[in-house]
Amino acid sequence: MTQGLFDAFYLPPALAETAETSVQRFGPAHDSVELRLATVSPAVIPDWIEALRTARAELIAQRSAAEVHRTLERVAQRFQNRDDAARRNAVDWLARMGRFSPPMIEQALMDTFEPLTSGGVSRWVASELGSASALDAPTPDRHGVPRLAFGPEWMLQIYAGNVPGLPVWPFYSALAMRTALFAKTSSQEPVLAPLLARTIAEEDPLLGACALVVWWKGGTTELDRAALERAPAVLAFGGENAITSIAREANPEAKVVLQGPKVSVAYVASSSLTRTGLAALAARAAYDIALYDQQGCLSPHAIYVERGGQVGPAAFASALGGALEQLRDGLPRRTPGPREAARVQLYRAQAHFEEALDDRGTRVLASAEGTDWTLVYEDGARFEPTPAYRTVRVHAISKPEEVVEALRPAVPWIEAIGLDAKGSDRRKLAAAFAATGVPRVTSLGSLQRPELTGTHGGVHRLLPFVRWSTIESGAAKRGTGKRPPAKSRRPSGKNRKRG
Amino acid sequence: MNSEELRELERELVGLVNGADVDAEALSLRLHRFQTRMIPEYGAYVRHLGGTVETWRSIPAVPASAFRTHDLSASRNGGEAVVFETSGTTISLPGRVRLRSTRLYEASLLRSFSRHLLPDGARLRAVVFGPTREEAPRSSLWFMADRVVRELCSGGVWIVQNGEPRWDLADAELARAEEERRPILLLGTTLLFQAYLDRCDRKRVRFRLRAGSRAMDTGGAKGTGIEIRRKEFTFAFSRVLGISPSHVVNEYGMAEMGSQFYEDRLLAEHERRPAREGFVIPPWVRTRVLHPETMREQPGGALGVLVHYDLANLETPLAVQTEDVGALVNGRLILEGRLPEAERRGCSLPFERFVDRERARS
Repeated sequence: MTQGLFDAFYLPPALAETAETSVQRFGPAHDSVELRLATVSPAVIPDWIEALRTARAELIAQRSAAEVHRTLERVAQRFQNRDDAARRNAVDWLARMGRFSPPMIEQALMDTFEPLTSGGVSRWVASELGSASALDAPTPDRHGVPRLAFGPEWMLQIYAGNVPGLPVWPFYSALAMRTALFAKTSSQEPVLAPLLARTIAEEDPLLGACALVVWWKGGTTELDRAALERAPAVLAFGGENAITSIAREANPEAKVVLQGPKVSVAYVASSSLTRTGLAALAARAAYDIALYDQQGCLSPHAIYVERGGQVGPAAFASALGGALEQLRDGLPRRTPGPREAARVQLYRAQAHFEEALDDRGTRVLASAEGTDWTLVYEDGARFEPTPAYRTVRVHAISKPEEVVEALRPAVPWIEAIGLDAKGSDRRKLAAAFAATGVPRVTSLGSLQRPELTGTHGGVHRLLPFVRWSTIESGAAKRGTGKRPPAKSRRPSGKNRKRG
Repeated sequence: MNSEELRELERELVGLVNGADVDAEALSLRLHRFQTRMIPEYGAYVRHLGGTVETWRSIPAVPASAFRTHDLSASRNGGEAVVFETSGTTISLPGRVRLRSTRLYEASLLRSFSRHLLPDGARLRAVVFGPTREEAPRSSLWFMADRVVRELCSGGVWIVQNGEPRWDLADAELARAEEERRPILLLGTTLLFQAYLDRCDRKRVRFRLRAGSRAMDTGGAKGTGIEIRRKEFTFAFSRVLGISPSHVVNEYGMAEMGSQFYEDRLLAEHERRPAREGFVIPPWVRTRVLHPETMREQPGGALGVLVHYDLANLETPLAVQTEDVGALVNGRLILEGRLPEAERRGCSLPFERFVDRERARS
């Protein structure tokens, strides 16, 4: 299926008829892919938005939220099914884009779509809104007060291409609220979102008519502006400059969620450092490091390992090196570009320099040839992101306070902490790390599998965009609670009020 | 004893830079041995890596980032004449290059500059788009501008004062040169020039500078999120100032290196031949291009990690491993186009945000 030209956009049939298209090359010069794109201009954007609004009005009239959720779950099931054309196309084209190896793409699709199948969408909506039916009719909240939830009329979503599967949950979040979706893809990964939209349209053309997916070069001011100034809701992923400019251009009335650049870290407590558990522990850590070649915000760049366990941090480091070596074939990496590899090489050379001077007990472990993996071991806690592509720093530490202290200035750039600890130790550590304000504390080995019902960047996936209509009984007593005690209110002629 | 050896090496290296017939290979090995002894951190690194050094190619290169983390100078702390700083980052201190003597550094910079900017022997008045050396005493770039103005020019004006660009000063200086029909020399950072050219466009200010006027810009726009296309940039010089694109010469350098590389375009015009692509490597510098994965030497034309061997580095290690990527084509250095990689990477934290090894020296 990877023969021929791929339509890296999705426009509902009525819009596709009149849209102009062009063919562009994506990816590195020596291995580029030709994709057909819809031509986006400031003139067509308002027309497209209008078409989305019309389709959305029809969707609201004809489909309950529950029906929409069932359609979305069916689509997720198709992407889970290895024999389905949607799934095969996704794997083929994501592989053609050359950013990740096929086993990694398979894993990404599995992890992304699995939670959305078999009632997953409706459970997700219920977990955030109290009940999935709150989108259809006033539904009592947990205090018994009936409330009706509204998603925005339409939403602008701007994706990053750093990890495969990134557009899926945002895409679903809009449609699950019966919110129309105007999606802009990244030049690194412009294929999955259009495939998803097409598959949704196959299952329900009316729902499909509520989404469009296009690409334009990020930072094209007049296009960014034409979309951003109209959007009642914006969800955007990107680098610092992109996020800053989106924040500046967005309509001040809009509900905006921006997900900027971040990384993750891990913490291994001494209670987890047992002889028998070491290999499995190292494998969990290696998996979190290797998946998506540390391109995502959930990839650990530093692992803090407590001293005082049955095995020490140095033994953990060599076990981790072994586990990373195994994943060279088990979960192959994409070879980084020359600039990226040059950064890894400089990082390695610097680590060898520090090793030579023995400043912090630095030791370098690395793949025999190539930049496949690099592990720098040192004493003491500090935080510094690595140049990625399976480059990690392991820190031997004595107590969690050292790590909390080291992370404090970096908290705005940390998305998650992968924790490995046992029993009450785990509870205590989790509480200490949550107190730093890092948005997510999870288990090592699960860093790359966030909960659909959890948060990203510390905010929920639906709630920030929802507006409520609450039906009060009108029976609440007036004026109670704000009046000072009667004793102190000596009635005077001038200031008397009726009780 | 050591300072005598230092002076002797300096004398020979200055001779080499000025074109004396010296065995550069033997000199580089002597210099390496001296540096291994005199720079303790570098010596420890060399011993740690092991191996024997028999040719300049096997001299261990120090990672450019090590200037940030360690003192890599042969001269005693406090005994230096200048301290140059590399750019600092969010979490790291700036790197330092301490020099007891700037003789070799000056010889190298003047030699390269006159060859590539003043091959006709012109003595021009300079407009420096930057601060004076006094205002920016830790900058190798503004030290260089200062030496160029004082040694090779008929005077100059500095348009950054108290950290602020004074466009009015630039306007006045350029207007005077235009009126007196006198060619001038502009020196500065790419970003500052870009800001001035944009501002002239906005205000519809135009100059028609005398033929022979020229500009040297350095630094690019790396790390700023601003993309500057070279062609548009040189064309703006022609449109706004009347300086021919052949007379806008880009420089590549870093505080960790005593030498600078220049584009060939002005020299080519002077020699009445077509310009060759890339940066000219000074005769006393060797650059190796290593495969980014294997770190083995790449054949000509192939991209790789740049490692420079600079005989203008006397008091700091002569071999420096960079994170720059480029290729050697007919002995010239082609730098890999600077893609806004960090921006494209999306939600992963760009490494550069923390460890920005930008070579900006201003």
